[in-house]
Amino acid sequence: MGSLASAKIVVLPMADKHPDLEPAAAAKPAAAETPAAQAAASSHAAVVASELPVPDPEVIRTASLTQVFWNLLARITRERIITVALACISIGALFLFWYLGTKYRLEFYIRFKNVPTPYEVYQQLTQVGLSNKYLVNIAISVRRILFGFFIAMAIGVPLGLAIGKYQRVRDLFMPVVEIMRPIPAIAWVPMSIMLWPNNEASIVFITFIGAFFPILLNTIHGVHSLDGVLIRAARCLGASEFRLFLNVILPGSLPHIFTGLAVGMGVAWVSLIAAEMISGQFGVGYFTWEAYSLVDYPAIVLGMITIGFLGLACSGIIRMCGVLLMPWLAFAPGGRR
Amino acid sequence: MTMVMANTEIHKGFIDVRDMGVVFGANDSKVVAVDNVSLNVQPGEFVSLIGPSGCGKSTLLSIVAGFMKPTRGEALLDGKAITKPGSDRGVVFQQYSLFPWLSVRKNVEFGLKMAGVEQSKRNTTARALLDLAGLLSFENHYPDQLSGGMKQRIGIVRALATSPQVLLMDEPFGALDTQTRVVMQEILTNIWQQFRISVLFITHDIEESIFLSDRIYVMTARPGRIKAEIKVPLPRPRRAEMTDTPEFMNLVQELKGLIREESLAAMAPEIKDRGLSGFGMKVGPKGVGEIF
Repeated sequence: MGSLASAKIVVLPMADKHPDLEPAAAAKPAAAETPAAQAAASSHAAVVASELPVPDPEVIRTASLTQVFWNLLARITRERIITVALACISIGALFLFWYLGTKYRLEFYIRFKNVPTPYEVYQQLTQVGLSNKYLVNIAISVRRILFGFFIAMAIGVPLGLAIGKYQRVRDLFMPVVEIMRPIPAIAWVPMSIMLWPNNEASIVFITFIGAFFPILLNTIHGVHSLDGVLIRAARCLGASEFRLFLNVILPGSLPHIFTGLAVGMGVAWVSLIAAEMISGQFGVGYFTWEAYSLVDYPAIVLGMITIGFLGLACSGIIRMCGVLLMPWLAFAPGGRR
Repeated sequence: MTMVMANTEIHKGFIDVRDMGVVFGANDSKVVAVDNVSLNVQPGEFVSLIGPSGCGKSTLLSIVAGFMKPTRGEALLDGKAITKPGSDRGVVFQQYSLFPWLSVRKNVEFGLKMAGVEQSKRNTTARALLDLAGLLSFENHYPDQLSGGMKQRIGIVRALATSPQVLLMDEPFGALDTQTRVVMQEILTNIWQQFRISVLFITHDIEESIFLSDRIYVMTARPGRIKAEIKVPLPRPRRAEMTDTPEFMNLVQELKGLIREESLAAMAPEIKDRGLSGFGMKVGPKGVGEIF
């Protein structure tokens, strides 16, 4: 980001011009600017070093820099090691349970008799994993998700903003929303098959239904939780109604909108898999269900793991977009830490 | 950097509030917030409105800002009735009202952007104003990275960016600690000295109102009426040392007397009759039955 870089350049010459900065605030930006400060300090040291006959200044500088580097690395790695270790423990425990359960064919109410071993699933992955059939199923599921999700976003966000802002729009839409919302997307399967001309459209519709309500409701909530003083401030500064939406209400609701998108994406996957299992041809859900019908147990687990990874990737992408689009949240009180 | 946007048309920015009354609710729940208030702010004048909490001073400011309409009377700016908010009146709020998603500079630029001013010009103006507020080095920070005093300084220059004719300030330093407050008052007088626009300043702090203003209106407790109008003859520019002069002290005493009566009146009538010495727990609850 170019603007951030220029901030670092500007801060330094001004620092002595404003010695009366409030300490709380002065400390925070100072902390934020440490890389710049270090860079400046070292370059400053270099200038001084070239003018004064200090013996071997390079060594001193490198030593302190490496020190800083190692300290930083040590701190980062210690935090990272703990995080990674705990992640390994949590996933490892699951695999261990699975492995032991299948190895000894445990039978204590839950039955591991027919559950494939991790190795069988791994073999399945190497055989089926790169087959055309498997990849096509994934691609079709992803396409359905993208269509359903983006249509839900394109309708849910603007409608949510309008409902949140205008009492009359709210009065008009909320009754129907309240009636439709409790109906799970899966319950729409028969109706959807009747409504839409082909299978593909009906599955996309079910995915859309799943994603739509979380997005809509979170957007409405975002508008409502927006501090009224910001709207008043914007109007005082001459914002038109359209500008108010674009420059205040939309960015102000964005954190909640992203919550809605993340939840909506999760529900979209749930709905999609269910729809594919019931009415589908193709898709990861269909792949999993077909494996069950064909008594191909390792493929069931492969399908499940695939669904898990796809869901993880999708919510990861949304979270990443959120971080990129809302850089200010890094500084918000109680925000990202 | 020179201030290019100072108010050269010194004859503009005349606020005239005439026979204003504000009533909230209807019938049984009717509350008269403001009753028969007339006041004015001459072009380029700094006027404070002071009174006990709940006396309707913020309501008055909301009307002048255009956020609400009075039940009776009218508010005029340069002879024209005020009906809605607009960039001819800059407003500084008590709560921090910076847009958290915009950098400090973009916040200051906001009004100019709404007015369709091109980017390079916006940038120059915003930087000049930030320099004036002593915050140019923070132009690319986000508001959440700044202290309360800094946020309010930015709020002030943001309101000035569109070159309004008047500045309306609703207890802008109310949320700040005492030390920061005093510094902010000095900064505000300096900024005002450069712009010379009309200011209507709401506060409940007596010293603050004297230090800043040319004239002070004292309001009564609810229903809010104008109780007194006091001129502040202290010379400009105001300095922090002036608060120790006898003139300043006398004004403080005079205002304290006026306000104290109203603050007492604003509380429950029993307290007013008894005086503050009448406070104190008489008898505690005897048993659980008495509590529920």
